[in-house]
Amino acid sequence: MPLYLFLSTAMNRILYLLAWVPLLWLSTACTDQCTETRVFKQYTSIALTTTQVRQGVGVSSPQPLVKPGKIYTKDGYLFINELKEGIHVIDNRDPSSPKQLAFINIPGNGDIAVRDQFLYADSYMDLVTFDISNLTDIHEVARVQNVFTQGQFDGGWWSYQSTVANALIYDQRVDYVKQIVQTNCEATPALQPVWLASSTFFSSASSDMTTGATGGSSGTGGSMARFALYDRYLYAVGSSDMKLFNVQQPARPTFSTTVSMGWGIETIFPYKDKLFIGSQAGMLIYDNSNPDQPRQLSTFSHARVCDPVVVNGNTAYVTLRSGNRCAGTTNQLDVVDVSDLLNPKLVKSYPMRNPYGLGVDFPNLFICEGAYGLKSFNASDPLQIDRNLQEYMEDLQAYDVIPLGSVSGQKVLLLIGQDGFYQFDYSNPARLRLLSKIPVSRPDLT
Amino acid sequence: MLVGSTSALWAQMPLPVVKRAHPFVNYTELGGLFGRVAYPTFAGSPTEQVENKVSLTIQSFNGVQLQPRLAVGGVVGIDWYANALLLPVGAGLRYDLTRATLRNVNVYVAADVGYGLTWLNKASTGNELANGGLMLNPGLGLRFGKPGHGAFVLSLSYKRQVVDASKPLGGNDIRRDEHRVYNRLAVRLGCSF
Repeated sequence: MPLYLFLSTAMNRILYLLAWVPLLWLSTACTDQCTETRVFKQYTSIALTTTQVRQGVGVSSPQPLVKPGKIYTKDGYLFINELKEGIHVIDNRDPSSPKQLAFINIPGNGDIAVRDQFLYADSYMDLVTFDISNLTDIHEVARVQNVFTQGQFDGGWWSYQSTVANALIYDQRVDYVKQIVQTNCEATPALQPVWLASSTFFSSASSDMTTGATGGSSGTGGSMARFALYDRYLYAVGSSDMKLFNVQQPARPTFSTTVSMGWGIETIFPYKDKLFIGSQAGMLIYDNSNPDQPRQLSTFSHARVCDPVVVNGNTAYVTLRSGNRCAGTTNQLDVVDVSDLLNPKLVKSYPMRNPYGLGVDFPNLFICEGAYGLKSFNASDPLQIDRNLQEYMEDLQAYDVIPLGSVSGQKVLLLIGQDGFYQFDYSNPARLRLLSKIPVSRPDLT
Repeated sequence: MLVGSTSALWAQMPLPVVKRAHPFVNYTELGGLFGRVAYPTFAGSPTEQVENKVSLTIQSFNGVQLQPRLAVGGVVGIDWYANALLLPVGAGLRYDLTRATLRNVNVYVAADVGYGLTWLNKASTGNELANGGLMLNPGLGLRFGKPGHGAFVLSLSYKRQVVDASKPLGGNDIRRDEHRVYNRLAVRLGCSF
């Protein structure tokens, strides 16, 4: 037999035999492998003394970002909160190369507001005022003591009873734990039932608020802020009340009043001469025509609150997030018609992965999806927002955004996430162009 | 008379057979995907639960006979897993191990590779499929039929499909995703021509 014929038949026979090899895999291979990766927060109780907190205030050289929180900007300068540690001060007059100038150590800090050359920061139970007229020489100039009694950072609560002698501040440390589990590939955990809301409202300072009604210029916070500056007052929202600080003399804020509001208060949104307060019980509307004495006008008890809102004209955009002490287990964006302030109407709800802060520079709407990235929408049609997703950046983390509008020919978007601080040019909102990034040195989340 | 006989003549003449260089080949099959899954009773538990799985699969291979033994083409199917309805599309080949012209029953090797699309899937809120994934499907089959005519097909293959799904976030969750690799034995019946 010719060699090639012999070889080809032999090869055919070998192939024939080899073809049965896949069947050997039967016993081992026919098992589905489904692994679920879960990252969740774990809380550990810790305690601090008031001396530690008050004497821990100081200024040091720039530090790397470790656990960034909220962002605040004024006149080209950026203030980035380092959760419970202090504030990074950054010269951002050139968005493509931000320069870290200093780090202000403030134990228990979560929120920032700036009026003229004075920076207000919370430090657990106190409100501290810093003079930032000279950024090479930032110093504490005033402190209002024992105004706040409790608060939460990243889900962990702290509390302090000033009336008890030698009281300690009880806090919770938050750790991120990653768990990998084999599953049966089929489980579809259901979301717990939530009340249907006919109207929803919530928020915190929106970037619409750039100047106080009378004198003084304020900076801009992100949608996650708890502080709001309006007219001659600083409004600081707590969990059951709102504290008003008179900042007519910006160097020396004085505690003015506490407006008790019930339970589960989370956010505040001043709008014209009204205040919209979001709480778990409902939406409260206050008349703020007399800024030192807000009066409650009405309550909508079917509201579901908790998360930030931004407003543009007659439309409010609200994100609701699960894992929040507020509402149930839903993750969505609500578009609300607020043309009638006393009767906000839900226009449409859009499901989201896990939305945190948001920002609007109409028609651009930016939604931060936490560990799941940043979404850029065209919101010109409120009923088709989900179909107008212009860009979805999945490989970064997004906690809050501030769309600054036009800054020296570019449209700058400030974005803070667990993995870093980003600045984008959104002149083309379908292709965000990265201008600069300050990375987080040891990101907790992967 | 002339017309009648001409048409009768045409009816009797054999039609010229056009032999195509690469004739069209189709295999359409329907069957089941068999397998099982083993998972701990709860996270960290030393005890394991095992469940058997059966899913429906339908597939159509459409291609050309490149060589007497080898057909190459595209594959489209539907796999209906318990929690995912996928549309795998890709390329495949069918290679005869025995010479088809000699026998009525032939053995062939099939190999498909593709991507599982998630367009058809509808999931409970929060459980959406984030991404489809790679589909691999090598195996063997038997073809029963006279050469040149249609045939019945019985195939046995290993099917591997990767899919990424999201899970709803609970109280303290930051992120929760599921990566699935389905490893199944596909037993399918069908026909080919």
